[in-house]
Amino acid sequence: MEMLRAIAIGLPLTVLVTVLALMIGTVLALPIVAGLRSRNRILWLVSRLLVDLLRGVPPVVWLFILYYGVSIGAIRLTALQAGVLGLGVVAAAYLAEIFRGAISSIPKGQWEASSALGFHRATVWSRIIGPQTARAVVPAYTTFAIGLLKDSSIASSIGVAEIVFMSSQYARQSGEGIMVFFVAAGVYIILSVPLGLLSRHLDVKMRKAVAR
Amino acid sequence: MIEPNIRTGTPVVRVTNLAKAYGSNVVLRDVSLTVPEGSVTAMIGPSGAGKSTVLRCMNLLEQPDSGEIEIDGHRINAGRKPNPKNLAALRRSAGMVFQHFNLFPHMTVLRNISLPQERVLGRSRDEANEKSMELLKRMGLAEKADQYPSRCSGGQQQRIAIARALALGPRVMLFDEPTSALDPEVGVEVLEVMKELASTGMTMVVVTHEMAFAGNVADELVVMADGGIIEKGEPGQILQDPQHDRTRRFLRAVLER
Ligand SMILES: Nc1ncnc2c1ncn2[C@@H]1O[C@H](COP(=O)(O)OP(=O)(O)OP(=O)(O)O)[C@@H](O)[C@H]1O
Ligand SMILES: [Mg+2]
Repeated sequence: MEMLRAIAIGLPLTVLVTVLALMIGTVLALPIVAGLRSRNRILWLVSRLLVDLLRGVPPVVWLFILYYGVSIGAIRLTALQAGVLGLGVVAAAYLAEIFRGAISSIPKGQWEASSALGFHRATVWSRIIGPQTARAVVPAYTTFAIGLLKDSSIASSIGVAEIVFMSSQYARQSGEGIMVFFVAAGVYIILSVPLGLLSRHLDVKMRKAVAR
Repeated sequence: MIEPNIRTGTPVVRVTNLAKAYGSNVVLRDVSLTVPEGSVTAMIGPSGAGKSTVLRCMNLLEQPDSGEIEIDGHRINAGRKPNPKNLAALRRSAGMVFQHFNLFPHMTVLRNISLPQERVLGRSRDEANEKSMELLKRMGLAEKADQYPSRCSGGQQQRIAIARALALGPRVMLFDEPTSALDPEVGVEVLEVMKELASTGMTMVVVTHEMAFAGNVADELVVMADGGIIEKGEPGQILQDPQHDRTRRFLRAVLER
């Protein structure tokens, strides 16, 4: 029962890190996509380099850099802050590529019809391209979210007391090593399966409505 | 005074010395064309002649390199960056129908037709829906209002696209091969609607490979090849007795298919 207690204590932080990193990633991805789609060579290059840099370094290294390396004045990031921020900016890079792919999968004719009808740019994005992108992005987005849920365990390396951190601590203290990790694995699966099902359900539903 | 609105009508569309190249590929060289009010102009010619490009330059979906475009008094000079107000006004005057319909797949048929009215003309949703239903009835598609486009046949989708463009009250309708993506029997539905539209006095420019439509419905036939207009005039005349060798070859190829 001690074992379940350890995991139960870790669970909220796993969920918190995942959700916050996903939110930060989603929001930061938007300006990066704008940069990746920009005709301004400088903006494009900066965004391109940023994405490659963020994806090129292992996430755990970003967390170390943020946790041990960043001190703004007297402020130092807590483990949770560094974990969320680090996973968030890395997520932004991946999500930017996912969004960019979804946007470019929308047929050119949608843009042309919008222009020919005389829509403003804002209307084209909010009514035509945005909603279709959102639909196109659902499968890749949930796949990424499930990956992030598992990758949130990386935050244990800087001491965020999420599921894996709590499990290792319990394993070390109790001496009954492997069992707790089986339980932890089960919890991850229980968390990710419904996400996958939800994604499939949404996808099928939307496809039914708009199948070309 | 035969066909008064055609012969004496003021031009709705005036294209002057239009030129366009993609890199070193010259697609249009010095194309000039006027379309009188209430007339139907059919544009034919071999693939790659530049027909679509002319049409797309008319509402600036494509930016020409030089030349001038005027629709319903709104003039845009290719050399200068278009003033957004003027561009919007010009586009509002021209309705465009595409080969592949380009309906919005995530909206019902009714929303497809109503949304542009709300956004571009500022109509209320009720006003817009009323106009949309009127047009859908005219197209024989009232029962499709709440369906998604994917549930409609190609011919129905194209008629919905025509309704969407008409709903904005354009002065001229531009059609780019509206029936080319359709089975012949289904294409007929669309051609019927276009004929009806022509008979109500709508000014139309139609890029088409439908020779029967070009011969029977159009008031003027324009033959394009290699980025230029090689022949234009009365459709019957050109189809029976083409002056240009290139036209003759093209017509033979089309008619012998
Ligand atoms: N976006 C583009 N970039 C480069 N070349 C283009 C582009 N669009 C058209 N072209 C070229 O311009 C030429 C004219 O094309 P256009 O589509 O106007 O011909 P068309 O007369 O409409 O032919 P079709 O009957 O096949 O539709 C072609 O050689 C084509 O390859
Ligand atoms: Mg074409």
